[in-house]
Amino acid sequence: MSDEVKIEIDDLVPIYAPKSQSILSSLEQHDIRIEYQCRSGYCGACRVKLLEGRVDYDEPPLAFIKENEILTCCSKAITDLKLERPLT
Amino acid sequence: MQYTIFNRKPVNSLKEPMFFGETVNVARYDQQKYPIFEQLIEKQLSFFWRPEEVDLSKDRKDFQDLAEHEKHIFLSNLKYQTLLDSIQGRSPNIAFLPVCSLPELETWIETWAFSETIHSRSYTHIIRNIKSDPSDVFDDIVRNEEILKRADSVSKYYDSFIEYMNLFNLLGLGVHDINGKKTEITMFELKKRLYLCLVSVNVLEAIRFYVSFACSFAFAERALMEGNAKVIKLIARDEALHLTGTQHMMNLMASGQDDEEMARVAEECKQQAEEIFVEAAEQEKQWAEYLFKDGSMIGLNKDILCQYVEYITNIRMQAVGLNSPFEARSNPLPWMNAWLVSDNVQVAPQESEISSYLVGQVDSEVSADDFDDFDL
Ligand SMILES: [Fe+2]
Ligand SMILES: [Fe+2]
Repeated sequence: MSDEVKIEIDDLVPIYAPKSQSILSSLEQHDIRIEYQCRSGYCGACRVKLLEGRVDYDEPPLAFIKENEILTCCSKAITDLKLERPLT
Repeated sequence: MQYTIFNRKPVNSLKEPMFFGETVNVARYDQQKYPIFEQLIEKQLSFFWRPEEVDLSKDRKDFQDLAEHEKHIFLSNLKYQTLLDSIQGRSPNIAFLPVCSLPELETWIETWAFSETIHSRSYTHIIRNIKSDPSDVFDDIVRNEEILKRADSVSKYYDSFIEYMNLFNLLGLGVHDINGKKTEITMFELKKRLYLCLVSVNVLEAIRFYVSFACSFAFAERALMEGNAKVIKLIARDEALHLTGTQHMMNLMASGQDDEEMARVAEECKQQAEEIFVEAAEQEKQWAEYLFKDGSMIGLNKDILCQYVEYITNIRMQAVGLNSPFEARSNPLPWMNAWLVSDNVQVAPQESEISSYLVGQVDSEVSADDFDDFDL
């Protein structure tokens, strides 16, 4: 099993990132800016729509998210992901 | 009289809705209908901080050196923040506790409101530090036309709900003769006013406060009023939690899993809720006009702040399933996140800015003449 996943956001060039790192950090490393505040799952600022794929949380986050949304600051990709580009 | 301070009836609060069910009797947290509120309480408690832990001595000098129009921006913003937390320090308790039916939600509301009182105390700390007479600032909050306009719009949904809830608690449902006027009290209207009140609370904490944070951090971006920014960072960390609490309540309401009638209320009020958001955004833009009436500051002016208002309104409306009329755009204040980020706010004793630590530092310094009084 590969330790890397592919993350696609709309029509941006896909990025490849380690599974072990938060999705937010991976996006930032590739200069994809998204909103954040607490970076630990309670503010909800970093929520994005998950179109395809699965993620995991070290612990269940406090912020409200809808079924098709994820918090990028505290989630890690388990599979390749397709995300919707949020407002930034 | 509907309300009782200790409901004698045995109730299973796991089966009660968040609001307008049986009043809470035993404050027990071993079981929770919605564990999220218990988790929010835990988190809020772990955030506990005291304003005095932040040293503001450099701010005093910074403030004296500000240009007059910048002093106006700084003080007006502080007055607005003081107003908002004066309201938030009391109103969740007064409005929501009497109709709350879950122990964990009741305690979340109290914990939430308590943290607001710390915010209020921190404004006194800040104002005392920069003004020889703090009354100049505090008194203006109830005299200044512009602030009073803000007070009006942030308190009206609270007042409307509290008035109606008091009538309900006193008289119950039905048509009543009140001061010669026939007034009908219905559960639907009660829930509607509660829902709209929550919307306006969300607007207060998730939009109005963030606009004020932008002004506070704009000074700190220029390395001015950094002690103030440090306090605001701690406040922002709390507010992020509060808005999460309110988003949970609103989304639980809209989902119908908590109370079917409440879901109908949420659906019926959708347009009104959207109007509350948009109206608040317009008010914030008017406020921006007042803030910058005598001039802008480096890094922030009326237009940029207005763009931020629209940007943050979009995000907050989206989070609670409402449609925003504002054009989607990117964050005009990209430095905001770095200031808002809370994983680096720690009131840790090793930080040099913290006064209690500095006190210890002075005490542990020993110089030769410390022993001058010693006679052997
Ligand atoms: Fe507050
Ligand atoms: Fe708050």
